[in-house]
Amino acid sequence: MSVATVSQTAMAGQDTTARAGRDESARLGFRLTLPAQILVLFIAVFPLLMQLYISLTDWSPLSGRNWWMAWESWNSFYNYYDLMQDNRFWGALWRTFVVMIVCVPVEFLLGLGLATLFADDFRGKRVFYSILLMPMMVVPAVAGYMFFMLFQSGGPVNDVLSTLLGTRVAIAWLSDPTLALVAVMIADIWQWTPLMFLILLAGLVGVPQDQVRAATLLGAGPWQRFVTIVIPKMKTIIIIALAIRVIENFKIFDTLYIMTGGGPGVATETISVYIYKLTTQDLIWGYVAAIALAILLVLSVVTIWAMKRMAAAREVQA
Amino acid sequence: MKRSVSFELFRYAAILLALAVTLIPILWMVSMAFKPVGEWSATGADLTWWPQNPTLSNFRFIFGQSDSSLIVALDRTAMKPILSSLLSASFGTLIAMTAGTAAAYGLSRFGSGQNLPLALTQLRLFPPMAVMIPVMIMWAFLKLTDTWWGLALVYGIVTLPFAFWLMKTFFDDMPREIEEAGLVEGCSRWRVFTRITLPMMRAPLASAALFVFILNWSDYLIALLLTTREWVTVPVYMASLSSSMTGQLYGAKAALGLIAAVPPVIMGIAIQRHLVRGLTFGALKQ
Amino acid sequence: MTDLMRMSRRRLLATGGKAALYAGAIGIAPKFIRPGRAYAADALAPGMIGGPTGFEGAERYQYGAETPEGRAIEAAKQLKASGVDRIVLGLSDGSIGQLTQPFPAGAPSIKELWERETGITLEIVGVPNGQEFTKTMQDISTRGGAYDIYAVEWNRLGDLAETGGIIKLDDFVEKHRPEWDDPETGYVGGAKGVSLLNQYRGSTYGVSLDGDFQTWVYRTDLFNDPAEQKAFKDRYGYDLAPPRTWKQLDEIGMFFHRPDNGLLGSTDIRNQGWGYTNWYQRYVSMGSPNQFLFDDDGRALINSEAGIAATQEYIDSLAYKSPDAISWGWPEQYGNFANGGAAMTCAFSNLPKFLDNPANADSKVTGKIGSMLPPGREVDGGLVRRSVLWLNLSASISSQAKNPEACYALLQWLGSARIYAWMTANPGGYFDPFRLSDFSDPLVRQTYHAYHMDVVRETVERTVPTINYPGATAFHNALDENLVAALTKSKTAEQAMADTEREWQRIARRTGEDKLLEAIRTNKEAWPTIIDPIG
Repeated sequence: MSVATVSQTAMAGQDTTARAGRDESARLGFRLTLPAQILVLFIAVFPLLMQLYISLTDWSPLSGRNWWMAWESWNSFYNYYDLMQDNRFWGALWRTFVVMIVCVPVEFLLGLGLATLFADDFRGKRVFYSILLMPMMVVPAVAGYMFFMLFQSGGPVNDVLSTLLGTRVAIAWLSDPTLALVAVMIADIWQWTPLMFLILLAGLVGVPQDQVRAATLLGAGPWQRFVTIVIPKMKTIIIIALAIRVIENFKIFDTLYIMTGGGPGVATETISVYIYKLTTQDLIWGYVAAIALAILLVLSVVTIWAMKRMAAAREVQA
Repeated sequence: MKRSVSFELFRYAAILLALAVTLIPILWMVSMAFKPVGEWSATGADLTWWPQNPTLSNFRFIFGQSDSSLIVALDRTAMKPILSSLLSASFGTLIAMTAGTAAAYGLSRFGSGQNLPLALTQLRLFPPMAVMIPVMIMWAFLKLTDTWWGLALVYGIVTLPFAFWLMKTFFDDMPREIEEAGLVEGCSRWRVFTRITLPMMRAPLASAALFVFILNWSDYLIALLLTTREWVTVPVYMASLSSSMTGQLYGAKAALGLIAAVPPVIMGIAIQRHLVRGLTFGALKQ
Repeated sequence: MTDLMRMSRRRLLATGGKAALYAGAIGIAPKFIRPGRAYAADALAPGMIGGPTGFEGAERYQYGAETPEGRAIEAAKQLKASGVDRIVLGLSDGSIGQLTQPFPAGAPSIKELWERETGITLEIVGVPNGQEFTKTMQDISTRGGAYDIYAVEWNRLGDLAETGGIIKLDDFVEKHRPEWDDPETGYVGGAKGVSLLNQYRGSTYGVSLDGDFQTWVYRTDLFNDPAEQKAFKDRYGYDLAPPRTWKQLDEIGMFFHRPDNGLLGSTDIRNQGWGYTNWYQRYVSMGSPNQFLFDDDGRALINSEAGIAATQEYIDSLAYKSPDAISWGWPEQYGNFANGGAAMTCAFSNLPKFLDNPANADSKVTGKIGSMLPPGREVDGGLVRRSVLWLNLSASISSQAKNPEACYALLQWLGSARIYAWMTANPGGYFDPFRLSDFSDPLVRQTYHAYHMDVVRETVERTVPTINYPGATAFHNALDENLVAALTKSKTAEQAMADTEREWQRIARRTGEDKLLEAIRTNKEAWPTIIDPIG
C-alpha cells in the first residue's frame, strides 16, 4: 500500500542533503530505523529458522523432547508432502478465500454506497456518521459473543425475520454448514464496513468538485459522472481500502472462532482457525511449521509482485 | 448542490436502515448487560429484547460482588484483566510508536531502511497464528510468558507496521520548509527532529497512537496463547466467563464488553479526523 | 465434568430465573443445615486422627492413622516439618467451589481441613474450563512452572505422560498405599479400574477425581402412563419399558416424539465436542464383548460395516431429536429435560441431582425421573450394553513441582474413600461419584438419589473407556469433525468413516506407532466383558 511513497522517499532523501552533511543524515537515518529493524529481525530470524528446522521433523511438545532435539524425529519433507494431500488444509484455505471474496467486495460496495450518501451536507449527518463508525470500536471478541446470541435459533435475528415475514422463523444459523458461514460473514461485514465507509468517504470528499461540475455542464448524468470522474480519481484510495481489508480479512479469527469455533464440523474453519486447532489441540508443531512456511512463501511472492506492480503503475502515471 | 426530495427520502431511508443494522448488535449488548440472569435466555423461545427488571448485578459480579442469583463467586475479578489490557496495550503502543515514528522519519527524510516498507507489510500480512509456536517458545525462554510486558512486546511488533505507515504518511505530507529553516539556524538533524518536527506532529502522533492502541486493545488470539493466569487480558478473561462458571455468563460478558468498548469509543471519536487522513496513507492530497 | 455443570447451570438459570441451581444445589442440603447438636465443633470420634467435624454423620469421613487418609496427612505433616509450605493446584474454574465451600453446614471446607491438619497452604489457581489441556501443555512445553498439580481430562493422561511433563507416582503409591483397589470402598473393577483411571503403560501417572460415566435416564410418568403403554403395545407389539436395545430406543423415541406438543423422543447429544460419546455407545456395542476402535496391530476398525452402521444410526436417530440438535449442548439438554421436553436422554450422572429435586421449583420433572442402563445390541446370543467414560478430571503432578511427594499426599487424601465421598456429596462441586464407597454413602445417595446411584454403579461396569493414549485429542477431534459432517449431510456415513480412518492413520504415524500399540492394548484390557442376557 505504500507504493504511494517509495519513490518519493528516494527523492526526498536527495534534495535535503544539500545543506547538511550526507554522513550526518545517513548516520541519523540508520539510527532512527534501527529499532524497527531490530524488532523485525527479532520476530523474523529465530521463528523462521526454528520453523524451517522443525518443519522437517515430526516434533511435537508431546514427544517429551526439547525442540532442538527435533532431529530425532527427522522426516525430511514428509510434512510438505502431507500438506499437499491434507484436505482440511486446502478446505480451510478455500474457505478463507471464499470469506474474503464475499466480505471484502460487500464491505466495499456498502461502504461506497454509504459514502456517496454522506458526500454532501444534510441534517443529522454528524450524529449518523458517528453511530455508523461504532462497530469498529467494539472489541472483536465481544462482537463474537453478541453475534453468537443474535444467531441462536430463538434469538433476535430470527425474531426480526419473523416479524418482517409475518411467520415464525426458527433457522438454526450456527448449526447449518452454509448458514454458519453466512453468519460469520455477516458479522465480519457488520464490523468492517464502517472502515471502508470511513476511508471511501474521505476519498470521495477529496474528489475535485470543478471537474465534476465541468462534466455536469457537458451534460453527464450522475451515474456517468460517478463512473468516469469520481471512481478514477479515487483509484488509489480504493486500492488502499481494499488492500487493508484483504490483509486483515485473510487473518480472520477472533469473531469467527468465538461464534462457531470453526464448526459445525469444519464448515467455518479458516486457515487461522485450522492452525490454532493444530497448535493447541493436535499439538503437531512440526506440521504447523510446514504450513506456516508454505503460507509465508505464497504471501511473500504475492506481496512482492503486488508492490512491484503498484510501483510500476505509479511511475507510468507520473 | 440541491438534491431532489425523492433523493432526500431515499437517503434517509437508506441511512436509517444502515443505522438499524449497525445498532442492533450494540443495543443487544447494552440490553444484555443490564438483564438479570433469568432474562438471558441465549437460546430458547423466551426472548426478551429489553430488560424487564434492569439490574446492575452483572457489573457488580465481574467486580467481585456476586449476589445469590449468579451463584458462583468469581475467584478473580475483572480488575486485573482490565489493568493487564491497559498496560499491555499502552506499552505495546509505546513500542510501536517509538520504533515506527523513528523509522518512518528515517525513511521519509534520509532514505534509510528501504527494506522496511516491504518487510513491515509482510509482517502485517502474515497471520500471527502461524508464528505463535516459535514465539511461545521464545517468550518462555525469555521468561516473558504471562507477563504484561511480554504481551506489550508482541503488540509493539505486530502493530509496528501500522505505526510506521501512518507516521510515514504524515511525515511525507509535512512541509519541509520549517525543518530547513531550523537547519539554517545551525540545529543538528536530531535537534530538528526532536525540537521542531515532533512537536509539530503532535496531533498526528496522537491519532496514530490511539489507532494503534485500539488494535492492541482488541487482540484476543495473542493474549490467549501468551497469558495463562496472572496477566490475562479482558477478551481472554471474558472467554473464561463463558466457560468457567455456570455456563455462558452472557450478562457478565456483555457488561464487560460494554466496559471494554469505552476506551476505543472515546478515542475513536477523538481521533476521527486524523484517522481518516492516516488511513488513506497519503493518497489523499488536500 | 466441570463442563457439565457449568453448562447445565446456565440453562437452569435461563429457564428458571433466579436460583434454580442454587436451589438445585442447596435444596438438597436442608436436612444437613442444622449443625449436629450432639457434636462439638472440633471433636473427633475416638481413635480418629483427623477428618471433618461439626455436622451430623461427620464421623463417617474421619480417619485413623492406618488409613490412606491418615497416612497421607502424616506424610504431609512430616514434609511440612522439613520445609514444604505450599502446593499450587491448577483446577478448572468451575470446580474450585467444591474445595473451598463448606458442606454441610457446620463443616469446614476441604481446603480449610487440609491446611489445618497439615499446615501446608493449598493454593488453588483457576484454569478456564475447556482450556485445561491447552494450559497444561503450555506449562509443560514452555517450562512455565505455574502449577504443581494439573487437573486434566482423564483421556489426556497418555499424552501428558509421554511429554515427560508429569511424573510417575509408582514410588509414592508403594510408600503411602492409597488402597484404590479396596474391594469395599475402592474403584469399580478393583485393580483393573485403577489401571484404567490412574495408569498409563503400567505406571501410575494420575489420581482420578471424577466419575463421568454417561448415564441414561427416562421419564417415569410417561413410561407408566397406562394410555401410553396401551398405545405403544398396539403399535409395536411389546410392552413399553425402558429400552434394552438400540432398536427399542429408536422405536420408543419415535413413539414419544411429538415436537408439536413440546415432547422429543430422546435428547442424547449430537453436537460437536460432546455428541461423539453417543456414537461411541452405538459403535462399541456392535461386537461381543466389544467392537474395538483399533485391532491389536493398531489398525483402525471404524471404516467397517460396524462403523458405518453405527454412524448411520447416529444420523438417523436425529429423527426424534430437536431440529437444533446439532447445536444442542448440555445447557439445552438439561433445560429441555427440566421443562418436561423429552422422554429419555443420556447425560452425566448428576442430571437427577439437579432436575429431580423438590427445591428446583422450575423443574417440571421432579419425582418423574428414572434411571436405566444403556441400550445395547444382541450379539452372539447375548446383549451387549455399553456406556462410555469421557472427560473425567484426573490430577497429575508436574515434573516442575517443587515437592512432588507433598502433592501426592494431597492427591491421595483428596481421592480417598472418606474425603472423596464427602467432597462429591458437596452440591457446590462438579466431581461425580466413582468409588464404591461413594455409591453407598448416605450423603452422596441423598444428593444423587438412591435409585440413580444403583444404576450408575451398574453402568460403570458396562463402561468403555474413550481413547486415552497419546494423540487422544487429535483422534477424537478427527472423529468428531467427521461425525458432525455426516450429521449435517456434508458427508455420507461411508465417507465420514473413510475420512476418519485416513486422518487416524496420519495421527498414528505422527504419534509413533510402537508407542500406540502398547497403549492400545492396555486400554483394551480395561474394556468391560459383562454381557447381559437377552430378554
